[in-house]
Amino acid sequence: MGNEALIMNNVCKDFKVLNRHEGLKGSIKDLFSRDYKTVSAVKDVSMTVERGEIIGYLGPNGAGKSTTIKMMTGVLEPTSGEILVNGKEPYRNRTQNCENIGVVFGQRSQLWWSLPLIESFKLLRDLYMVPQKDYEEMIELYRSLVDIEPILHKPVRQMSLGQRTLSDILAAFLHNPAIVFLDEPTIGLDVSMKDKIRALIRGLNKEKNTTVILTTHDMGDVDALCRRIVIIDHGQKIYDNDIEHLKSYFGSYRTLKLKLADNTWEEMLIDEKTTDVMDVIMEKQKEKKITDIKILEISTEDVIKKIYEGGTR
Amino acid sequence: MRKRGLKFYLSIYRKILIQDLKSKMSYRADFVISTFGMIMTNLAGFITFMILFHNFPTINGWDYYHMLFLYGFSLVALTPVQCFFDNNWNLRFMVQTGDFIKYCFRPVNVFFYFMSEVFDVKGLGQLAFGIGTIVYAWIHIGLEVNVLIILKLILFLFTASLFMIAIMNFAAATCFWLKGSGYVMVIMFRFKDFAKYPSSIFQGVFKVIFTFIIPIAFIAYYPSLVILEPGNVPLLSWLSPLIGLLFFFASYKFWMLGVRRYDFTGS
Repeated sequence: MGNEALIMNNVCKDFKVLNRHEGLKGSIKDLFSRDYKTVSAVKDVSMTVERGEIIGYLGPNGAGKSTTIKMMTGVLEPTSGEILVNGKEPYRNRTQNCENIGVVFGQRSQLWWSLPLIESFKLLRDLYMVPQKDYEEMIELYRSLVDIEPILHKPVRQMSLGQRTLSDILAAFLHNPAIVFLDEPTIGLDVSMKDKIRALIRGLNKEKNTTVILTTHDMGDVDALCRRIVIIDHGQKIYDNDIEHLKSYFGSYRTLKLKLADNTWEEMLIDEKTTDVMDVIMEKQKEKKITDIKILEISTEDVIKKIYEGGTR
Repeated sequence: MRKRGLKFYLSIYRKILIQDLKSKMSYRADFVISTFGMIMTNLAGFITFMILFHNFPTINGWDYYHMLFLYGFSLVALTPVQCFFDNNWNLRFMVQTGDFIKYCFRPVNVFFYFMSEVFDVKGLGQLAFGIGTIVYAWIHIGLEVNVLIILKLILFLFTASLFMIAIMNFAAATCFWLKGSGYVMVIMFRFKDFAKYPSSIFQGVFKVIFTFIIPIAFIAYYPSLVILEPGNVPLLSWLSPLIGLLFFFASYKFWMLGVRRYDFTGS
């Protein structure tokens, strides 16, 4: 096996959708209709993820992120193309693939609802046939990374959303999988909990060299965790590179803030490739007196926003 | 690669069951109320049965104690579906909301993992009630007691239970294709009430339907004939273990086909 945790080659996924007709007459027609149309959710996506990498997998709602994750986890079979997770096709042998992956869906707990966390851990240990020694080491590692004592004996149903997410992430790493898929792990959490979760993911990734595929809409997650991001939109991959490159994707954007004499701030976005910042300042100075100047790097969030809004090509 | 065989699955099921019972007991009020409800349900069913027999001393040649035996037999045969496969009732909600996907991320059989999540204690009362009824009817009919006949009883109770499990599997799995699959389940669940009557009361089309299409006649009638009328057992009674296994296997395959076909829409 090479050093790749995940390889996707020209993966496509089509769904067959019934062409629905309007009104009562239409729905009766639909009952007998064979009139299907094909919708492509994922079009010709290729990528390679190295062992130990944390990848931010981004895209607007409905871009095909979930479909890709479902194919990577072996739940859906691609229409064409090839996926290799740990060197094997996930959908050919779902059970075997599951031994080597961990999955967390931000809004859906996969733990036993009424059981205390420690009992869920023990059941997972048996389910994944984790040797007792490895299991104990993992729990020790958890202890060193987060304060798990308060939640260990609490039933999942009594936990706060933050504690539940934390538990789900710990559960996903318990069998020391090669890849963990995190789908919006910080959704709905407060700022300090988000920080805790991010630190935990970083710590686990570092200690166990686990590959992490992270989908999120929170750019804070991306900035804190990922060096490389992949963006898809309308089912196609539109970006695959480091975050630093992303910032110069449209040219070198900077935000210039000027404080004017009447104590108001004026803000403008400047592309340094086409415009010189100094020129802009000089120009402004001719009109009004400037009392303060700030030049800000463009945030990842702003770049992503521009990409989603369709300024790509 | 380590194998996950029958032993593995049994031990996992046992562990989940113990944890589940422990947590159920910790909700004391809930436990007491559901136990009470279970006793009342069985009592009500029994009283209906008594009233019916007060007015019709025999049904199609079956007297009170034979009917009672059939009733007890059906209660016991319907216990496993109640105890071990009750999560089928939640399937359509999980499929609709997309929560079902979580069962696909564990390195174990999806059907097993899904069913293992719920163990319904209410079934145990039904079991006790059913066994009591069988014993009571047994003594009054004056059937003999020996090892062979007890083994036969257990075997045929087991196979009878497979039929109801299979019917509910089929009914529940329709949710992978249909939106209004709740009705299918409710209708099938209602049909089980016919199981406690001798199928000889059904004529023509109904007999065919209840034997071959929705095989509730196999839940009590055919298998219990082996015990009740040892001298005159129809072929279908002897075949019922085999038919039961095949039918259960077909329902399992149908259920799993639904899982594979379902496209897990929504994120």
